[in-house]
Amino acid sequence: MKKKGIITVAALLSISLLAGCGSNDSNNSNAGASGDSGASGTASASSGTSGGGSTTLKVWFMGTSDSVEPIAKMYEEKNPGVKVDVQAIPWDAAHDKLLTAVASKEGPDVIQMGTTWIPEFAEAGALLDLAPYIEKDPALKADNFFDGAIQTTQFNGVTVGIPWYVETRALFYRSDLLADVGYPEGPKTWDELKDAAEKLVAKGGKGHYAVNIDAKDQNYLSMFAWQAGSDIIDSNRQPLFNKPEYVEAMNYLNSFYKEKLVPVGSELDTFAAFKDGTLPMFISGPWMIQGVKEKDPEIEGKWTIKTLPANKNNKSLMGGSDLSIFKYSKHPEEAAKFISFMSGMDAQLKYYETSNSLPALKEAWNDSRFTSDPLISAFGEQLKVAVPTPMIAEWEEVSQASVASFEQITIGGADVQSEMDKLNGKIAGILSK
Amino acid sequence: MEESEGGPVEEGQSMALKKVEKSIMIALLVIGGILMMVPFIWMIGSSFKPENEFTIIPPTIIPNHPTFKNYTDLFVKMDFLVYLKNTLWIVVWSFVGLLLNAIAGYAFAKFEFPGKNKFFLLILATMMIPSQVTMIPTYLIVNKLHLVNTMAGVVLPGLVGAFGIFLFRQFMQTIPTDLIEAIRLDGAGELKIFFILILPIVKPVLAVQGILTFIAAWNSFLWPLIVANDEKLYTLSVGLSLLKGQYSSEFGLQMAGAAFMVVPIIIIFAFFQKHIIEGYTISGMK
Amino acid sequence: MKELARGWSKYKYPYMFIAPVIILLTVFSVVPIIVALIISFTDMDLIGLADYSHIKGVGFSNYIDLFKDPVFLKSIYNTAIYVVIGVPLVVILSMAIALLLNYGTGWLFKTFRLVYYLPSITNIVAVAVVWGYLYNSNYGLFNYVLSWFGIPEQQWLLDPSLAKVSLILLALWKALGLNMIIFLAALQGIPRDYYEAAELDGATGWKKLRYITVPLLGFATFFVTITTLIGWIQFFEEPFVMTKGGPLNATMSMALFIYNNGFQLNNFGYAASGSFVLFIIIIIATIVQFAVRKKEVEY
Repeated sequence: MKKKGIITVAALLSISLLAGCGSNDSNNSNAGASGDSGASGTASASSGTSGGGSTTLKVWFMGTSDSVEPIAKMYEEKNPGVKVDVQAIPWDAAHDKLLTAVASKEGPDVIQMGTTWIPEFAEAGALLDLAPYIEKDPALKADNFFDGAIQTTQFNGVTVGIPWYVETRALFYRSDLLADVGYPEGPKTWDELKDAAEKLVAKGGKGHYAVNIDAKDQNYLSMFAWQAGSDIIDSNRQPLFNKPEYVEAMNYLNSFYKEKLVPVGSELDTFAAFKDGTLPMFISGPWMIQGVKEKDPEIEGKWTIKTLPANKNNKSLMGGSDLSIFKYSKHPEEAAKFISFMSGMDAQLKYYETSNSLPALKEAWNDSRFTSDPLISAFGEQLKVAVPTPMIAEWEEVSQASVASFEQITIGGADVQSEMDKLNGKIAGILSK
Repeated sequence: MEESEGGPVEEGQSMALKKVEKSIMIALLVIGGILMMVPFIWMIGSSFKPENEFTIIPPTIIPNHPTFKNYTDLFVKMDFLVYLKNTLWIVVWSFVGLLLNAIAGYAFAKFEFPGKNKFFLLILATMMIPSQVTMIPTYLIVNKLHLVNTMAGVVLPGLVGAFGIFLFRQFMQTIPTDLIEAIRLDGAGELKIFFILILPIVKPVLAVQGILTFIAAWNSFLWPLIVANDEKLYTLSVGLSLLKGQYSSEFGLQMAGAAFMVVPIIIIFAFFQKHIIEGYTISGMK
Repeated sequence: MKELARGWSKYKYPYMFIAPVIILLTVFSVVPIIVALIISFTDMDLIGLADYSHIKGVGFSNYIDLFKDPVFLKSIYNTAIYVVIGVPLVVILSMAIALLLNYGTGWLFKTFRLVYYLPSITNIVAVAVVWGYLYNSNYGLFNYVLSWFGIPEQQWLLDPSLAKVSLILLALWKALGLNMIIFLAALQGIPRDYYEAAELDGATGWKKLRYITVPLLGFATFFVTITTLIGWIQFFEEPFVMTKGGPLNATMSMALFIYNNGFQLNNFGYAASGSFVLFIIIIIATIVQFAVRKKEVEY
């Protein structure tokens, strides 16, 4: 009896599987017929095709969908006949997912691109040139957005994205503890940062650090290099890793390691260490504000945020995400309209509400919730001098090599100048491929 | 190893020594078990922690302020029920795959046919293929078959596996051929032989394989994500990793999600383990 | 033709039985690996992936570069260490646990079966978070326990040589349950009368283990060894979630190297050639295993 049951179930299942394929097959081939070579796959991505009244826009976002869903709803209400289909993609696997989309030429209409991914996908021709849409729609014009954010949307002179949200790094510090060592306003220069760090650690004793430098994150290295007046890769694609400015920055950072002013690795829990004073300063992004407020209520009023300490300047990293139109989208016009809405005032403010991500739209910063909050406005200040990482397709490879070199210095004890010479040679090799 | 504690025993005192032996065994078992459980207990405990209790020093095993919020959030913030449904579908399908593995293993164990060894080597070879690189070609094939964004696309590539076929073949080889011949002479069809005679005999392997299959399906992550162009096809694991942000993570929710995912496995295991443990007369793995 | 037809009716059943798995494995495993083999002789990158006309053949240069790449060589070395330490530990410990669990049938033993099994079913996302905390050098449980004995805190994941050990420990924890089950199933298959006969001959616990149990576990041991070996040569998940291969590439495994080059850096051709080297290593290891096994059986 039992076995009969199994066979029946198996038979039923196989029928349903076949049926499943069948129905989907027909879906695909229907839509495929309307398109032509190579693009047939797009059908299932932007299903409900342009046959009649309604269009379905397929959009990919990273993280959980509850931050984008409400904004998509707003758009649908304003634009009857358009359905926005939001797919959330885990950050960890987003790059893999994008690769397969490119491989199959099948994917969404609108796609959220981490700013550092723009060059590689633009180079592969996966992102649509937005120039014609920008021409028609003043809301998409470059001067609406932060300068640094606009730089992230350019690749080889072509605009392939519209800024969606921005983030940058600033200095979080314990005002009470910094006041104890003579810097109630926080350190303003590199020298002050170093001095404050030494005093804080001397005062705190064992188990105390001054500030964090995440050596696994090339962005930290880049920021200090910029501040020392270095560029990282010049306009002729020549690496500048062994130039005096870059080396100065590495020496400066390395001195923090040598004097044990920074925790090694990223194992210290920032929230806990910030609260108990073992890490009175850290450099991080706006996403930490909420965390510190929630997890460290005990130190309310004893901490604040300022722009990064300056050497020749106090540049910081411009990060965040842009919105792009996938090259194989069937509805580029609709997609552009959607992007225009997403980077407009209403959507930008709403997205700040749902995700705490900072608006890329400069006008949004006049809103009271940004002007009245000193924590946020510190980031607003920092954003004005934020620059993106070099817009080259090989950036990921370059930054991995650079991080590995810095590890050789801090953990392996290599000499800074000779390690940087080695690194520069290696990166020149990567870039000349 | 551990048994050496028992040592050589003189016949007379064996009862007393057996008792000692057993206590030592149990002690070893318990100590080892506790070590194995530490991370697990920590996970369960943490799933009841409010987010701000994760950074307390020293870490707490039992939360100071236990809360169910993480669990309720799982269902409020995410489509966990949809993910659960998809995951269950994958599980059901993978059991079909299990049957395919078993029947193939049976053919390799009990039939002679031209090319048998070549086919078996082919199957073994697939076990050695590192999955990291075949992913894109496999995806392109699935795409060509128009199976992207379908349940079939999610399940077919992983439906059968060399590991299972290998294990089934090995077990089934020990089934006496006379037994099969006897039934065949009674006029039973080949499929009937397989379902009525062979499957019950290999119940322990079936149970082992059933558990393995279930776990693989239950935790399947990267492939469902790649094939799905629609959140409606996400699995629990994909849902869980949505909780991991670019820079920050919601630990409490992740722990609750992970703990939630383990419970059904415990139930399934408890069910299957009966079948593994039940004695069966024909010797299996030799 | 006639020959074929006769052959078909004669071998209809076995062919029908293996057809589904052969077709599925061919389409979704064999063809992709052949595609990967072809890719390994090209310079395929993201641009090539988007537009095949940009792909150029490069002969063996990917393979030559591979063996000049210090990171790849290091990953081979690391993988060898993982295998040499990990595989014997998995086999011995999971057999030991299975023997312990097989000792009794009370509720205690049944419960502990589950206990030992739990780690292998826990979701890797949770494993990463939990073990990250356990290994944390500042407030992890492990250093906390060490401090009871006055041992200074260890940099579990940050010290290049210790990090490897930490990952092996984690992988061991995850792997034992699965293999223990296979041993347990095999132990259940040993007929009781073997033991009874031995007991009549006056065999004791240790002798029974040495002369009956272990030899009868021969195939299970072989099976566990070979699958564990293949699994550990493809060691990936643990370094991927815990260390990303660092520090100083000390935990970089071959599979992770391939993944990094393929999916992070988009060097598909290069990654494919790496995976072929890995594939060949696995085949050699497997053949050696089978050869040893054959020799043993002949005795």
